[in-house]
Amino acid sequence: MFCRTCPDDFGDRLLQALAVDHQVLGAQQGSDGVCRIAPLHRWGDLSRESLPLLPAKKLVLPPQETLWTLAGDDYLPPETPRPVALLGVFSCDLFALDYLDRAFADDSLYRSRRAPFFLVGTPCVPGEACFCPSSSAPPSFDLFVDNGRVWAGSTRGKELLQVFAGLLGTAEDAELPKPAHGERRFPPGEDLARLHRESAADPLWSETARRCLSCGACSAVCPTCACFDVVDTVAGEEVRRRRQWDNCFFYSHALVAGGHNFRPTRKERLRFRFEHKLLGFGALRGVVSCVGCGRCRRNCPVDIDISEVLQSLVEREGS
Amino acid sequence: MKNGFLPRTARLETVDERIRDNHLFTFRVDKELGVAPGQFVELSVPGIGAFPVSSCAYLTGTALICCIRRAGRVTDALYRLAPGARIGVRGPFGAGFPLEAFYGRDALLVAGGLGMAPLRALLQALLSQRERFGEIILLYGSRDPESLLFREELETLGRSGAVQVRFSVDFATEFPWTTKSFFCRVGLVTSLLEKLALTPGRTTAAVCGPPALYGCVLEELARLGIPAEAIFATLERRMRCGVGECCHCVTSGVFVCCEGPVFSLARLRQLPEAI
Repeated sequence: MFCRTCPDDFGDRLLQALAVDHQVLGAQQGSDGVCRIAPLHRWGDLSRESLPLLPAKKLVLPPQETLWTLAGDDYLPPETPRPVALLGVFSCDLFALDYLDRAFADDSLYRSRRAPFFLVGTPCVPGEACFCPSSSAPPSFDLFVDNGRVWAGSTRGKELLQVFAGLLGTAEDAELPKPAHGERRFPPGEDLARLHRESAADPLWSETARRCLSCGACSAVCPTCACFDVVDTVAGEEVRRRRQWDNCFFYSHALVAGGHNFRPTRKERLRFRFEHKLLGFGALRGVVSCVGCGRCRRNCPVDIDISEVLQSLVEREGS
Repeated sequence: MKNGFLPRTARLETVDERIRDNHLFTFRVDKELGVAPGQFVELSVPGIGAFPVSSCAYLTGTALICCIRRAGRVTDALYRLAPGARIGVRGPFGAGFPLEAFYGRDALLVAGGLGMAPLRALLQALLSQRERFGEIILLYGSRDPESLLFREELETLGRSGAVQVRFSVDFATEFPWTTKSFFCRVGLVTSLLEKLALTPGRTTAAVCGPPALYGCVLEELARLGIPAEAIFATLERRMRCGVGECCHCVTSGVFVCCEGPVFSLARLRQLPEAI
């Protein structure tokens, strides 16, 4: 991959250039101690250590998103959102966006937000309980900025670099910076599928479920958990349908009219979520969606750790 | 790329209220939806919500005919609408019953309760090309004689000889009846399988009913000798999007709304959480 050297103030120059036609956002440590994605005014304000509590999925799949409004007989689509530039994204969250791009490839609303989205990656400082997924290819980004060097990962990224041509050094071949943390490999897909299938009756699930509070924090902060419910609202004359984040830990997730519940117990719902993280659904079956960000572990009130649960499954099988 | 969440407008035309809390609704759309038997649409009552429902009729042009149980918030709102009211419709979604799997073979349809609705669409499809099939047998179990859907119509079909019709009811306030061409007994619909003259190797089966029905009927049909590839069932799940995104209907890793809702027993055996 080609990179070019860039001056110290490149980040701020980039921010200014993107601000012309984007809403520029970045993860920043708040005074309340929460790191969150917010409007970014200075490159230096970007969080270098912490991941934002809620990942970039909240920008491409907002917690509440209008699907249509009804005007007379006509169902009107929502307005096209303003393009967003997200700066300072760590690799795990870039991998997560790659995953969502595949899961929502045919979703016009998702595409309308994602297509103009400008992504600037930066290296991370590994946090508590996180690891990097092993991947043969680097994640997608437009630009990646690290310590006086910048990589372009898309046509748009290359075009933007041309604006700064006078400031940049000559192109040289260089790998993207490797994460400081060791990569962690998941067992191969067929092993994960077998572990999941054959562990249906394993007490590990009921033991873990006994601790689980079904609060859904893990799914809410997960960068690849993207299930949604569809709800209507009425305000005066206006009828609006929106989709909003749902949570597979909630009792109602697989409940049908008439009262039958296809995942009535917490154990089944816990195992269902892990199935999505490790095995994927539908066309993405066999694609691990856990990107190792560690958010679920850090935000779980009872310290349930997906990688520990997986490790236990692997060890139990061996014993 | 089109916004798959934008509904089309449908007008409520008529409501047949003969069966309590299982009304038969006819909607009119401006352009034919082409809902195949076993496929489903998402009906919207704007301001209330949406729900998935299959069509209970075959080749209806610009009409959409659905038997809808009053089972929740949205269907309750639908029951309060007057003819002429506008609702929204999206779809059709998913894979229905493969008609080609019935060509040149006997057809065995097993319905439980409201499961008769999608199977009526399939039955009409079979009858529309009656000469392409051998025997057509319908086994239909319901709670009581009063809740049998399409009872007169099915009795008439049974009498005509085009279809062998057998009813069962869990409870009977009127005496179970039997005449020359059709039959009703008190018991589970599975009891109708006894003494049934089947040529299993030449039979394709379609089953639709509540979850409990699948637990016993599907493998029983296989035990009778019907190949697992020729036994079809349609799964009910919570479906919010219909396009394989919202994840509510996922069962053993499969989006029921896309790959299903109709599956063969051979496929269902690979999905341990399906039944």
